[in-house]
Amino acid sequence: MKIALTGNPNSGKTTLFNAITGKAEVAGNWPGVTVEKKEADLKKKYNPKGINVRVVDLPGTYSFSPYTGEEAITRDFILGEEPDVIINIVDGANVSRSLFFTTQLLELGIPIIIALNKSDILSKRGDVVDKNALSKALNCKVVATTATSEDGLINLISEAVKLGKEKKPQIAPDFAGKDSEDSDRARQRFVDGIVEKCQVKKRDSSKITFSDKVDRVVAHKWLGLPIFFAIMWAVFSFSIEGLGGYLSGYFNDVVFGEIVPSVANGFLEGMGVNPLLQALIVDGAIGGVGAVVGFLPLIMVLFFCLSLLEDCGYMARVAVVMDRFFKKIGLSGKSIIPMIVGSGCAIPGVMATRTIEDVNERRMTTILTPFVPCGAKLPIIALFAAVFFPEKNWVGPSMYVIAITMIVIGGLLLKKIFVWENTSQFIIELPEYKIPSLKYAFLQMIDKAKSFIYKATTIILVCNTLVWFAQAYSWTLSPVEDQSLSILASIGSVIAPILIPLGFVGWQLSAAALTGFIAKENVVATFAVILVATSEESLHLPGGALAQFFTPVTAFAYLVFNLFTPPCFAAIGAMNSEMGSKKWLFRGLAFQFGVGYILAMIVTQVGTLIAYKTPAVGFVPAIVIAVAMAIYITTVIRKAESERHKIGVEA
Amino acid sequence: MVLSKANIGQTFQVKSVEGKENVKKFLFTLGCFEGEEITLISILAGNYIVNIKDSRYALDENMAKAIVMEA
Repeated sequence: MKIALTGNPNSGKTTLFNAITGKAEVAGNWPGVTVEKKEADLKKKYNPKGINVRVVDLPGTYSFSPYTGEEAITRDFILGEEPDVIINIVDGANVSRSLFFTTQLLELGIPIIIALNKSDILSKRGDVVDKNALSKALNCKVVATTATSEDGLINLISEAVKLGKEKKPQIAPDFAGKDSEDSDRARQRFVDGIVEKCQVKKRDSSKITFSDKVDRVVAHKWLGLPIFFAIMWAVFSFSIEGLGGYLSGYFNDVVFGEIVPSVANGFLEGMGVNPLLQALIVDGAIGGVGAVVGFLPLIMVLFFCLSLLEDCGYMARVAVVMDRFFKKIGLSGKSIIPMIVGSGCAIPGVMATRTIEDVNERRMTTILTPFVPCGAKLPIIALFAAVFFPEKNWVGPSMYVIAITMIVIGGLLLKKIFVWENTSQFIIELPEYKIPSLKYAFLQMIDKAKSFIYKATTIILVCNTLVWFAQAYSWTLSPVEDQSLSILASIGSVIAPILIPLGFVGWQLSAAALTGFIAKENVVATFAVILVATSEESLHLPGGALAQFFTPVTAFAYLVFNLFTPPCFAAIGAMNSEMGSKKWLFRGLAFQFGVGYILAMIVTQVGTLIAYKTPAVGFVPAIVIAVAMAIYITTVIRKAESERHKIGVEA
Repeated sequence: MVLSKANIGQTFQVKSVEGKENVKKFLFTLGCFEGEEITLISILAGNYIVNIKDSRYALDENMAKAIVMEA
């Protein structure tokens, strides 16, 4: 049996889904959190008879005619896959809006049961909904629920399963003017009639509430932006430099730096394992993966904080605050949401661009979202900050400031380079604030920790083993004394010349950056593997083994390079499916690479001149490249301007 | 008069909604159409916070200009 969850955005579908399936899908208090369908089996608690029930969570929609991309997914699923039962979640906070979609669903013939959700908010407001009258008017069962506390869910599910077994087609209520040309208006009138009969409202919703008062501060014309920056700074510095950084430091230096390798070495020696195999396991697998897993606490703290932020309802307000600024670069406030989601992982971030209606705006946001450092880039930031800037705790969080700056500059450039008519309009629902659930944030944190460990022990482990092998052997498959004769060195050397204008000298640097495209954590793991073979010094300590490759200035540039060049392959895949065109994907990647490359070059060349009063390596080629880029960009902008002039569009 | 010219705290009846068809349709599903009530709650960072039915929405100025009110 297949049960589909449908309803308005932010009505609590995913919270209900998580409750009845035991999953930890991301829910949040803003419209448009879910942008794809999610499927899972019913949890045992809700399925005492153990029958086969699949639950499908669908993106929220206000009506059957989609406005944005994720709404279309819902319509296509219901029409295409015909679930056995539809649970229609009616938002208790706005019953009359929800029922418009409900009456459309009722006409499909699929059995429907209504979950009157957020019952707690209803009763807090003093509103009363007559469930029996509502049920009679709509010709279907109505169950009161509160998904956050799981109230009413057992009843809801058992009724839904019963409906699915009966297989009786749904009979839709009839109303005057249903088949007329103006049927939508007739539908609204019908809904208004039902609400008038079934709902007694104590509260005048047009009165100023506490939420409104909070909004007047956090979305204030002048205060809004500083408040947003302060909150994000607090989240990132708490994750990177605060609790997360502290715990990661302990993990890296003590647990994976001393305890695990010595235990493993002792154990393997005791077993009489071949020394070569021992080196592979301890230096390659444990060394590389350990260097990444050590950053687990940092990732956990970050996701915990982000979950709290997403759950309280602040995200929609950020969109309001940022709208004014994003309009200047051809985007709208909605574009900030993919970027904040992207600070956890770029893949859901890129997917969140679906909620943007305008196709050009969506493409721009898809190109710019990966600039925000994701959780996988965090280990690189933390490692470089600890080694090269131990006393400067602003370096880690400053990467986010650079990211925002690059999004603004990048947006302005894209707006100049590409020609399109900007007709974007901005509208977003502002849900009532709620106290974020610590339990939910904790579950999210555990879920993210699990997938981080899974990633580290699969893809990163495999990459590391290969990297270890490639740095220890030559193409003839014989072990090498000198690492520079290895397979890895020869691969790295092919790319290395491209990086010289950036001041990055050595095949090791290009090899590490290259492995980063598979997963960004690999950059750290690859350095760990390469250096453990050649250096006694610890990787994570200030002035450690990495210092042989970088000055603090070039280290900063290397960080910038890894952060702003294209993301990992998985995120590139997500970009591909959201762009819907290979041409745009290629443009996006070229743009990202260009930005990362030029920015790293500027940091190295300008920074070295200022800090050390002497030009860095590759100064002359860097100038040549800078001039060539400047000429290229001016020509492209000129061309775009003349095209704009021809078709009469303003930039 | 259009919404962008309204006073904060005032409740109006919508006379018509102008602009692109899909935006009009979207506002319609939210309950913003001819004859319905709409209240301007605040103006924040250039956006108009309104109450339609039981929910708050933020609209940008262009959208606020497209909503025409009764008198």
